[in-house]
Amino acid sequence: MSSDVENTRETTRESYDGFADYVAGKRAVLARVGLTVSGVGLVVHLPDGRQEIWPWDDLRALKDQADREGVVIYRSGAQLARLFVADAALANAIKTRATALARRTRPVPLAKLAGWATAAVASVAVIIFVLVPLMASQLAEFLPAEGEKALGDATLEQIRVALDETGLGSGVNTCQTPQGRAALDEIYARIAPEIDLPYPVEIHVFDHELVNAFALPGGHVVLFRGLIDTAQTPDEVAAVLAHEIGHVVHRDPTRDALRSAGSLGVLGLLFGDFAGGTVALMLANQLVNASYSQAAETRADEFAHGVLEAANVTPSALGSFFKRMQDENGDVEGFAAHLSSHPQFAKRIAAAASAADRAHQYDPVLSKAQWRGLQRICGGSSHDVSGDEGDMSESAPVDNPRPNRSERPARNQEGKVK
Amino acid sequence: MVPRVLPIRYAGRAGALFKLALKTGLFTLLTLGFYRFWARTRLRRYYWSAIRPGGIPLEYVGDPIEKLLGFLVAVVFMAFYIGVVNLILMYFSFALFQGNGIAYVLSFLGLAPIIFFAQYRARRYILARTRWRGIRFGLEPGAGGYVWRSIVHYVVAILSVGLSWPLTTLWLEKYRVNRTYYGDLQFVQGGKRTLLFGAMRHIYYALGLSAVAGGMLALSENPAWAALFLLTVPWAIYGWAYWRAESFKRMTETKELGEIRFRTKPRPGRIIGIYLLGGLVLNLVLYGVLILAVVLVILALGGTGGFDFDPEQIAQLGTAATPAFVAIYFLGFVMIGAATQALFTLPMTRHFAEVTQVIDPSALNRIQQRDRDEFAEAEGFADALDVGAAI
Repeated sequence: MSSDVENTRETTRESYDGFADYVAGKRAVLARVGLTVSGVGLVVHLPDGRQEIWPWDDLRALKDQADREGVVIYRSGAQLARLFVADAALANAIKTRATALARRTRPVPLAKLAGWATAAVASVAVIIFVLVPLMASQLAEFLPAEGEKALGDATLEQIRVALDETGLGSGVNTCQTPQGRAALDEIYARIAPEIDLPYPVEIHVFDHELVNAFALPGGHVVLFRGLIDTAQTPDEVAAVLAHEIGHVVHRDPTRDALRSAGSLGVLGLLFGDFAGGTVALMLANQLVNASYSQAAETRADEFAHGVLEAANVTPSALGSFFKRMQDENGDVEGFAAHLSSHPQFAKRIAAAASAADRAHQYDPVLSKAQWRGLQRICGGSSHDVSGDEGDMSESAPVDNPRPNRSERPARNQEGKVK
Repeated sequence: MVPRVLPIRYAGRAGALFKLALKTGLFTLLTLGFYRFWARTRLRRYYWSAIRPGGIPLEYVGDPIEKLLGFLVAVVFMAFYIGVVNLILMYFSFALFQGNGIAYVLSFLGLAPIIFFAQYRARRYILARTRWRGIRFGLEPGAGGYVWRSIVHYVVAILSVGLSWPLTTLWLEKYRVNRTYYGDLQFVQGGKRTLLFGAMRHIYYALGLSAVAGGMLALSENPAWAALFLLTVPWAIYGWAYWRAESFKRMTETKELGEIRFRTKPRPGRIIGIYLLGGLVLNLVLYGVLILAVVLVILALGGTGGFDFDPEQIAQLGTAATPAFVAIYFLGFVMIGAATQALFTLPMTRHFAEVTQVIDPSALNRIQQRDRDEFAEAEGFADALDVGAAI
């Protein structure tokens, strides 16, 4: 405290309502000033004898301050000068009179904000919807088979662990009773396309109640127990399998995995890491992928019709499977349709029906005994009930070939239909 | 006369900060992350205002809108880089290495220059928006030089298995501090190259002892060596706390601002104590809540139908309760975030602030204001990459 400030205080103490530390914002010097509460505003008695009147409406206070008793005051016109009022009574007197303490002093640059927001959205959209898909599509063609295989192996393991509901982290069980495997091999042998794949197609069955199936890079095809339970005939399983093999042949999973790598990174950038960030990211990525997959789905359907016809299995089996899904769930419309990466069932059912030759006599893909073996591929017989499981109402089947990094998939999000 | 020593007082309170962090965390959650610019600004205002050298609080004048704008600017440029680079790295990691791990390493290497760049820019923004006694702090432009120096120093540190970390720390601190201003006065970071090695000594001791004990254990299988080996763990923990305290002390006491100097005496024991106590409280509360929840669930089940668990009913309950679990998961996430601030960050800043003093503050009176650093992109790059300051 310098001595001249002390003098000022001594001589005029009676007339002040209190004191505060004052900085003008020009030099790092602190001045002790007297304050008077008046009708028009706060009167600041500066050390050099001058007085300033700070009108109540111009007063602003710093927010979120650690010191809850005092208050730090400035004027809306002068951004640098500060009054540090430590005395609680005086601070309260100011707070009751100054009505605009919390108001913003600088205008929000709305035009600028809108401009950059548009630019940011446009940039992200171009990258996610144009650039990344384009590059993923190109790169997928060049990815060596070993690379695809490694990518698929890694993803398969991630998905197994993500689907594990026991929380033990060991991953969902893979079903392989000998009769079941033999039946799957039989189906594959019949519909196996005469296409040169650089890797063998590996069919896995997950012991999980979702009605779902998907393909992964490197020739992995995964069927869920729920799907086999729901199917009424082995032909329907064969049709779904043929559809998935169609994805493998067109390298859709590889393309999708590369796409996800690019677009997930960008979306992470946008949302930041709030609360782990994963849910918003997964949802957003699902939206992003929906538009991509529709063309690929139609192509895989067409592929399935072709191989089924060639194997003398009715292509309408794909349609009859979807028909049942539709009867139970209704068509997937609106938001749900956008979330499910498959063209709407009605269209696909019609396409499957028209692919079948009505006059022709098709053979079932499996014998009755083989079909029973397939239905019990996960062991036991408790699961071969179809249709009325509680989960069905939520699970519209969709492919989910992209690497799923989510640690706890929400059920309705991953009820994908193939 | 003005006293020759200006102590730093600390006004922050764990309870008030917890409430603020919880509130802003919830808003951030409800806005899918977009409130984070406001959240961070508000927390900074609190932390800054808690530090009061000579009774006058620091002021953080950053504006959330400015931060949002800077973030949008950064996104326009970064989206391209992140999207395309991620994709290409993923491709090459599988095409050439058949594995995901390499992709992460490469991806990090590709990001390293941007991370250092963003860190320096963030520091510049934060200092430009910090005032004390109405006078602005500031940092000269120099992110480019900081990027290549950081990369070189980090490579040296990695090559020496971290043993030369004290040198890395000092070098980078010198680069930053020697470009830092308070008003029109420039800071100087003094100290010889060897300055910080002593601060690391307990970590060196622990490492050396564990190497000796580990080696002897492999040779002789005498359990005494195993005991000695275990002893190095608490020693290394003390070494870490000692490093935090001692490196801060050595670097702070060799900082100069004109004729102004600084004195500080942080205590390693206090640092360990803060983490022990904070960890204890956090765990007690977490397990307490968990046990309470389990008890409530059991009571609820017991109330409806005794303890004959019908699997179907349980499955239905589980499905019905899923949204509740998701909500609890995110709430827990926000709670732990807020508790971490209140139990660790705040007590640490309190300790470091309270033990520090400004020496010869009469020289302050000659310091003049500096111009405002407009800084269009704020700390947008750091926000986009999430690599800014801890607060």
